[in-house]
Amino acid sequence: MNWAVNTPWALTGLLLALLPLLNSGMRTSPAPWTALIPADTLSAFVVCCLRLCAMAAIAGLVLGIAGLHRTEQSRERIGHGAHIVLLLDRSSSMDNTFAGRAPNGSDESKATAARRLLTEFVNQRQTDLIGVAEYSTSPLFVMPLTENKNAVQAAIAATATPALGFTHVSKGLGMAISFFEQQPVTGSRIVLLVSDGAAAIDHDSELKLREWFRKQQVRLYWIFLRTAGSPGIFDQPEDSRDDNAGAMPELYLHKFFQGLGSPYQAYEAESPDALKQAIADINRLENLPMHYVERIPRQDLSTTCYSVAALLLLVLLGVKFFEVKR
Amino acid sequence: MNKTLKDYRTWCLLLALIAMLVLFLYPSKQQKTPTYNYTFIIDITRSMNATDYQQDNEAVSRLHFVKQTLRELLRALPCESKVGLGLFTERRSTLLFEPLEVCSAYTEIDTAIGKVDWRMAWAADSNIAKGLLSTLDMLQKSDSSVIFITDGQEAPPVNPNYQTDFSSVKGQAKGMIIGVGGLQAVPIPKFDSLGKQTGFYSHDDVPHRSSFGQSNLDPSQIKGYNARNAPFGSEAATGNEHLSALQETYLEKLAAESGLAYTRLTGLQNLNQALQNPKLATEKLVQTDIRRQPALFALLLLCLVYLPKPPKYRLLS
Repeated sequence: MNWAVNTPWALTGLLLALLPLLNSGMRTSPAPWTALIPADTLSAFVVCCLRLCAMAAIAGLVLGIAGLHRTEQSRERIGHGAHIVLLLDRSSSMDNTFAGRAPNGSDESKATAARRLLTEFVNQRQTDLIGVAEYSTSPLFVMPLTENKNAVQAAIAATATPALGFTHVSKGLGMAISFFEQQPVTGSRIVLLVSDGAAAIDHDSELKLREWFRKQQVRLYWIFLRTAGSPGIFDQPEDSRDDNAGAMPELYLHKFFQGLGSPYQAYEAESPDALKQAIADINRLENLPMHYVERIPRQDLSTTCYSVAALLLLVLLGVKFFEVKR
Repeated sequence: MNKTLKDYRTWCLLLALIAMLVLFLYPSKQQKTPTYNYTFIIDITRSMNATDYQQDNEAVSRLHFVKQTLRELLRALPCESKVGLGLFTERRSTLLFEPLEVCSAYTEIDTAIGKVDWRMAWAADSNIAKGLLSTLDMLQKSDSSVIFITDGQEAPPVNPNYQTDFSSVKGQAKGMIIGVGGLQAVPIPKFDSLGKQTGFYSHDDVPHRSSFGQSNLDPSQIKGYNARNAPFGSEAATGNEHLSALQETYLEKLAAESGLAYTRLTGLQNLNQALQNPKLATEKLVQTDIRRQPALFALLLLCLVYLPKPPKYRLLS
């Protein structure tokens, strides 16, 4: 119970609630000698009640004016969900269609398709914490892990602005994993990498990424948006001379992810429908039990205060008509 | 009954009840209040690392100061205001997230601003005029005001022959250019790949003129001029481009050309004042709680009932 008021100084008005102690609020009728009136317990009780009513009415009004409310509460609950970091590729090629052309009326670009489907995905994951990171030549921190779905949607919507430079996936992954530092380990931790290309990862970064993935217990999903005619992640080299990370970065990145030792799943999407399928899969799989914090928004209590005060006023007014008429 | 009606207390209580009735019938009214919708575009080029701001007796970089001031500003903005964030480097900017309501997404915006880093730059040039134009172009359709925060240091310097033409956006965009940095030129720190400072940029590290296209000078005045092989002459360019200061006149010129306002960042107060520019505000109908007025009236009447009276009959001693 965290109670608070909007204007604390208004609480000084609570002193007014002492007034009914000084004055009964009733008409006085002259009596020759008050000691002659016999003591009446019932009367004393009624007067006491009426004074209390009046005090409560004054207090109710003052509290209402001060703006009494219950502050935002958080309650820990156990549900199903995950901590998900969306790692989005902002390289220029994302602005082309799946056919590798500039988008025209009928085909949407890979970025648009990803944006549309990710928006749906986020809407379906109500209890998850979702963060957003992007990368091109360098990683961009966009949105911390948050339960605020509006914020995540705003970050996804902002990818509608033109894409940036090249693909530097290792730095992006590093940034995505850093989101989980200082986060409790509960439910599953997922990095959802959405990209349309790959790049060779240098040896030092490989070592670091291996360590970080293991330490943070992160599961990796890679949705590879394959452009028609370009090499895929599952393609084997036709010529042994092409069997290196420089010539086939997608295959080698895939191999590296497989060797990470943490759960990893790759999807190769060649059309918006395949992308939709991949997202539906993740939606179905990643529902481990986890602790999450439910926010109970701030509750306004001034209406209650005013209602109580109004009711008591009605009682006081009613009682007025029962006063002894002499 | 007659006596009850003659009693002023009855009337006070009745009026108080009527006031409460009014309170429940008309709890709020629509009021026009100014709300703000800003998209902050922060320059993250290297010159923003120059340390010419003071905070708690410590020299801090321009970027750090900008971040700190924006985070403080976030707390000062009224609810219902919206804030978006973008970064500028090279010739263009990118949007990190679209404007979000400040009260419900305070932590998210605050964290995102705190994480802005010069290493997020995807390329290293700094062509502010082009960046500003592309930003205004990109955000033309949104109803957010562009707040472009930069020190005005172009790298490499712009050739006056190839100036950006703002005529396509002039008058349509609303927003402001915020100049950051001191007026005294200071060296720009240099960092290695691990982010450790390794000294400052020296004279030989940076280009002192743009060698794109043709020179703006008359060929007869250029030493060693050759139209094909040396359009800028044979002499090495010299200049102070390795030092950086706030280019106020340049930014004022850009502001005038693009139809934006200009102000210099000195602290939270001046930024807050500049941003409360009525041109940037949109009047929005907001439901405001007006229950206080009838409640106060009822409270007054109720107190009147119980106000202690001066004793009428004195005790004789």
